[in-house]
Amino acid sequence: MDEEKRKDILERLKNGVVEFDEDMVREAAQEALDVGMDALDAIMNGLVAGMEEVGELFDKGEYFVPEVLMCADALYAGLDILKPHVKKEDIKVSGQVVIGVVEGDVHDIGKNLVKMMFEVAGFEVIDLGKDVPLEKFVEESLNANADIVALSAMMTTTMLGMPKVIEMIREKNPNAKILIGGAPVSKESAEKWGADGWAPDATNAVKEAINMVRGLKKEVMGEE
Amino acid sequence: MNSKERVKKIFSKKKVDRVACFSGMGNVTVEGLKKYDYAFYEIHLDAEKMANAACTSYELYGFECAVAPFDLGIEAEVLGAEMNFYTHKRKEDIVYPTVKKKAIENPGDLSVPEGIAEKGRVPVVLKALEIMQKKVGDDVPVATYILGPYTLAGQIMDLEKLLKMSFKKPDEINALLSSLADFLVELGNIYFDAGIDYLTVREMGAPTDVLSPRMFRNLILPHLKEVFSGVKRPSVLHICGDTNIIVELMWESGATAISVEQKNDVAKTREKLGDEAIIFGNIDPFGTLVQGSVENIRSAVKAAIDGGVDSVWPGCDIWPAVPKENMIAYVKAVEEFGKR
Repeated sequence: MDEEKRKDILERLKNGVVEFDEDMVREAAQEALDVGMDALDAIMNGLVAGMEEVGELFDKGEYFVPEVLMCADALYAGLDILKPHVKKEDIKVSGQVVIGVVEGDVHDIGKNLVKMMFEVAGFEVIDLGKDVPLEKFVEESLNANADIVALSAMMTTTMLGMPKVIEMIREKNPNAKILIGGAPVSKESAEKWGADGWAPDATNAVKEAINMVRGLKKEVMGEE
Repeated sequence: MNSKERVKKIFSKKKVDRVACFSGMGNVTVEGLKKYDYAFYEIHLDAEKMANAACTSYELYGFECAVAPFDLGIEAEVLGAEMNFYTHKRKEDIVYPTVKKKAIENPGDLSVPEGIAEKGRVPVVLKALEIMQKKVGDDVPVATYILGPYTLAGQIMDLEKLLKMSFKKPDEINALLSSLADFLVELGNIYFDAGIDYLTVREMGAPTDVLSPRMFRNLILPHLKEVFSGVKRPSVLHICGDTNIIVELMWESGATAISVEQKNDVAKTREKLGDEAIIFGNIDPFGTLVQGSVENIRSAVKAAIDGGVDSVWPGCDIWPAVPKENMIAYVKAVEEFGKR
């Protein structure tokens, strides 16, 4: 396929996500399939690249939470079209992601955005939902032999469940990578509790998830 | 001058002997629960337990108010939401009630019942406020809080849907927020009629971490104005997060006073709003009060007073796990640094 055409489609996928233009994304995604473009290429270098830019706009204070949510909808619009066409051998990541919001907390916007990024990258995600008892994270991560456990909390009071979960998981499933996120979470607490990644808000969590996913894909697939 | 007189004067900007150490939000502590051997979940559901718990921070530490309830579900419940009170938890577990099932699917589905004084847990709160007035009302002010219209909208409908519709369908959200403002005015005045000394409106769902200042001005502020022009006074507007860029708008809401948290630079806020504004803040309820040392607490209190607060308030509910010695140091520091 013509490299210029590929670039053009990727640019439109990216811009469609950034400008939360679902129609633009759908059209570009369909065209990607029509011209025989690799679906995973379109997802990672079009849709995900767009979401990364959204994260930067959020950090700069140009975008706020409603905008980010609409960008996510645009990303999903493209993903629905592209995902069925991703070649099976491109998703060789074994194991699973277990994700949820800790008990006492019902704020799940950040969790849903991070879940989306894992799905985008082809991971199988077990979503425990919100208000999840701490023991359930441990049980489910063991049952699924999870590679990644992602915990979210929006309130200080509920965040304090995180170190307990981390400790319990480390004991029984030491290889799992643990990602924690939410407004009250700080770098210091993440380090103190021994988490592998942390983020204070949804878009930074998305960035962190992208990095973690890229890292894991590299390990598993020997990419780049 | 006792605490009740002091706070009353502070709300009318009259001369006082010192700034007060009080709050408009929950301030029960584990030590307070121990005094009555209550589980945290019990105090949300029973008027007498609620009232007893609400008076403990005054009784144990000299904290200068009694505030009930302790959770953010009273209004949502009246409007049809279902709560989880975590009554299955152990006695020592502190888990705040949350909304288990939202009340409405779409903004147009809202129906406000008649006779809200009789609905949900409003009678429990009213009874508790009455008991509190009898118990400590001669010494300290008795108060309660309501949610702001936008925060309440987020409690009764899916938050993600609310945020997106705020951008895509502002007319529908505006109509919802107006109806909620009317409901909140009615509820706030029911509380005033029951004898509260001030009312706090918590619009914590609309900080600048979530919504743009432009959206705050266009979508949030008009409905806060509806609330503050309808409820009796004194009233306080509390918003968490980084409020530096919206303090003028907060003050424009018509509240008697505004309350800000630790991310707000109160000295700058004082400079922006001038001497006549009544500003409360801005002690970090977790980083300072729970995790901090006595020295941290003293310097945070001093900084807030030097910054120009009219009274020292915690930036949110006081977290129940706050150590006893920290509460003592907190109240003492305000007495020491707050002399006028």
